Amino acid sequence: MRNFTRVAAVMALATPAVLGFVGIAEAQDKFKLGMAVGGNTCCEWMKAQGDVARAIAEQNGWDYVELSNNNDPATALKNAQIFVQEGVDAVIQFNGQPSSNPAISAVMKQAGIPIVTYDIADPGMYFVGIDNLGAGIAGGEALGQIIKEKWNCEPDLVISSEGAGAGIVNEWRTGGMRTGVKNICPDIPDEKYVSFEGSGDAAVALQPARDLLAANPNAVKMAVVGINDGGVLGLINAAEQLGRADEVIGWGQDGAFITGDNVNPHLVGSVFYFLEGYAVYAVRDVIKPVADGNTPPLKADAGDPASKVQPCPVTAEQAKGVPDMPERVTQLLAAPAGTTAYDLFCPNKG
Amino acid sequence: MSVNQALDTAPAAAPLKVRFGGLGTGLILAAVWIALIVATGLYRPDFFAQQTLLAVAFTMSIVGVLAIGQGIIGMSGSFIDLSQPAGLIGASLVAVRLSEAGLPFPIVILGAILTGMLWGGFNALIIVFAKLNPVIVTLATNFIGLAALYLVFQLAQVPLNSDIYVFGRQSWLGLPAIFWPMLALVLIVGFLAPRTRYGRRMIAVGGNRAAAKARGISLRATRFATFIIAGGFVGFAAVLFAGTAGPFNPSSANTLQLNIIAGVILAGISLSGGRGNFWMLLLSIGFLSTIPTSLVFFGLSSDTQSIFQGIILIIAVSIDGYRALRRTP
Repeated sequence: MRNFTRVAAVMALATPAVLGFVGIAEAQDKFKLGMAVGGNTCCEWMKAQGDVARAIAEQNGWDYVELSNNNDPATALKNAQIFVQEGVDAVIQFNGQPSSNPAISAVMKQAGIPIVTYDIADPGMYFVGIDNLGAGIAGGEALGQIIKEKWNCEPDLVISSEGAGAGIVNEWRTGGMRTGVKNICPDIPDEKYVSFEGSGDAAVALQPARDLLAANPNAVKMAVVGINDGGVLGLINAAEQLGRADEVIGWGQDGAFITGDNVNPHLVGSVFYFLEGYAVYAVRDVIKPVADGNTPPLKADAGDPASKVQPCPVTAEQAKGVPDMPERVTQLLAAPAGTTAYDLFCPNKG
Repeated sequence: MSVNQALDTAPAAAPLKVRFGGLGTGLILAAVWIALIVATGLYRPDFFAQQTLLAVAFTMSIVGVLAIGQGIIGMSGSFIDLSQPAGLIGASLVAVRLSEAGLPFPIVILGAILTGMLWGGFNALIIVFAKLNPVIVTLATNFIGLAALYLVFQLAQVPLNSDIYVFGRQSWLGLPAIFWPMLALVLIVGFLAPRTRYGRRMIAVGGNRAAAKARGISLRATRFATFIIAGGFVGFAAVLFAGTAGPFNPSSANTLQLNIIAGVILAGISLSGGRGNFWMLLLSIGFLSTIPTSLVFFGLSSDTQSIFQGIILIIAVSIDGYRALRRTP
């Protein structure tokens, strides 16, 4: 009897330990995804990127660790080191301050952890992002069609609202838009193409836009392109203030001001990126293969990316049918696995 | 220390009446401004067009109102208020929300002004009761304010076709509608500053704190009033900003500081307090607002504007420092 009691006591005490060990073993077998969101409070989409990644990880039964880069390169590097300590199996990041990307790549490479980067390429990271040049050309061609229909390809000015702080992305988008316009209206003289530094901010762009308009007092038929909707709106607002907005048309990028109740009638179109849904592409083309043991070859170049996010040019009228971001996130997560935001919401697929 | 001892040992008090001198400053400013206009016009005769006048007047309007507030801070001896961007955006956000709620335009204006005054009062509380340097305090509150604003909103815009939106796009007598309130405020403040009890106290405190205190002027109450009144001007500037800016974010006003500070200094308003003429702001802000427009007419990029603004600020601060040295016995 005493022996039986002893055996029962040992079994009772050992059971939790055994269960614990089993749990740890299971956890160690479970794929763990790390996500470093951009952390810039300017932009709701950065948080949404994390929300979508988390939901997809849960759908796949993965463990998930999310950190914020706080829009700071040192924090992004520290987060990479934390991911290594956490023993993640793959990482996705958006690092808006890419100066630390080479160091992050080195950390991940040493740890043998594949890392996906959104929109800003680094040689050591899988690139998943919008084709900014393609988005620019698509927007420019759409605007070029309007210039052709409205003005017979004879605008007084084609104005670019630049955002030099964005580096190569600015060149791709605004340069791409000018290329797109030229594709449709090749005979517009070069001197009709002018630009100003709008910093991608409607309020900041206002004064330089007014100055540019004042320096071109005879221009009436004006087409505006820009690094984003805000930069384009800066010129449109300036034209309104100078009493010259009657024949101004603008085509933006990023879709920030083409939806909602406050759409300026001179903003005739934009290009949606559906930034919040990047994780669908990243998981489909990189993370899931890694989790399945089929790590794909590294594709780090924006021109030949691991996964290319499709831009969606829309007119203002078409944009009315696109839901706002919170609703898009909800619908995206309810859709079958692998369905992209482009598939769900772009009225101009194909 | 007794009153007599204070009066015996204190340096000579600044005159209560603001000198209308600064005439030399005004002449120099006017001459430089005219030279810039003539040079640009000779290079590009289409510079002399109503569009140019509109563009410059728009730029002057918001900066001018903010410069009044900054000038009050400087003249009172509090040196500088670095929290104007956060105050401006906060008050602009209030203007947007009141407009979205469909409230009448006068209520929108009042709400923005009260928000600005609250912001000024917040700064004053810290400066007066913690007895901290106003420059450091307002620098810190600007950081705090901008961070807090980012938690509250990312983008805001007054409703299209609201009263404030329409106001931001109207013109009157060939100039923007927003220009006229700025002009009126500069003229009124310039007239009243040396002629009202508050104005004289503000200048006295800025000119010589010890003597002002010896005269029975409450330094604490004057400083409080100064920041609150200056905040009110920030609030009014927010109405002009919200009406014209289009969509804005918490950082949208950061680039305004340079022109405001340079404008105040060039106008001869001493940041160390006690002297200045608000009317000169029309010349200094006008000159500074014409520079970027001229640069575009000369075909120079907007990057060069920053170079010129930086050079002008260095010159302005040097002039202010030189004036302060000359006044030191």
